[in-house]
Amino acid sequence: MKRRRWTILIAVILIQLGPWGRISCAQQTADSVQVKQLTGLVGVKNKTNGTVKVENGNLQFVHAKVKTELAVSTIEDVVTGNDSQRALHGFVGTLTMFAPYGGGRFLSLFRTKLDTLTLQYRDADGALHGAIFTMGVGKADPLKRILVEQGAHTSIPTPEASAAADSKPNAAKEHRL
Amino acid sequence: MKSGVRTAVAGFLFLAFCFLIDGFRVYAAAPLVSKASAIQVLMIESDEIKLPAEFQISLYEDLVHQLEKNGGFQHVYRDGDKHAAEAGDIVVLHSSVRGFKKGSEMARQVTTVTGKTSIEVHCQFTDKNGKVLLEHNLKGQVMFFGANLRATFDFAKKAAKLAHDNFVAAPTS
Repeated sequence: MKRRRWTILIAVILIQLGPWGRISCAQQTADSVQVKQLTGLVGVKNKTNGTVKVENGNLQFVHAKVKTELAVSTIEDVVTGNDSQRALHGFVGTLTMFAPYGGGRFLSLFRTKLDTLTLQYRDADGALHGAIFTMGVGKADPLKRILVEQGAHTSIPTPEASAAADSKPNAAKEHRL
Repeated sequence: MKSGVRTAVAGFLFLAFCFLIDGFRVYAAAPLVSKASAIQVLMIESDEIKLPAEFQISLYEDLVHQLEKNGGFQHVYRDGDKHAAEAGDIVVLHSSVRGFKKGSEMARQVTTVTGKTSIEVHCQFTDKNGKVLLEHNLKGQVMFFGANLRATFDFAKKAAKLAHDNFVAAPTS
């Protein structure tokens, strides 16, 4: 009987803590994003998988416990785009290309969509660099929004910024009326 | 009948000879413009052609990497690098995109022969004062294997070779 009461108590506590756990998990996924760095970060090899996080005005790329930081204020342009890749990629994907009866070609029809995030930034000497990241679909725009909020510049404004710019003249008109 | 075959063979040989001569002429016509120990790569311009940002950045980064790896220059400076002003014998590479066709990686993988991606870039090498030393149109393309961005790598290899042959390599007799 006593044991049963303890079980119920623990279950109630876990149910109460559930939403907190979910919130912290959601924050983590919103901040750090699984990406593939195609090119451009100084000291990082091309086509390196890792996670990107924007924190304290820095863009952090973490790969195998090695952290590369880039000050958001040095970013001159952030642009998002989209692409696609074979669903079966990497080494296994290459092996499937040799499948008989055109099996590899058939498998090429199955593709996953990707988002791309392109950055232009300057180093301490003023030299211009460019970096390209690919990530899961729908992840580039939130990351761009965070970067712009923290001081990065962009040649293509986010939908929120352009909506705010559009609403300003209307507000001015309303005041005049 | 026999004379017809003979004429055709002679014609073919003549054409082959012409191509060979032409090839030599092109090879010999590539002069060593001037020697330079450093090169500065400016950001790729694409005012005429709407080029996706990832292609523009990939062109620039691949160009810098290929020049560092195969260009043979002592220093490769990026756009805006303040140390470039200190270099004496420096050439500046201006590149502008003249043509772009984004193919399809899927079409290439499925059919092998369709879906080609190609980029045509006008390269202009100038000296420190802006005097044009060399101009050339180069094409980067990916025809069979690889992602679309591989076209930028193809262009960068050709541009690095052009720079090496004209500004670094010892003059050929």
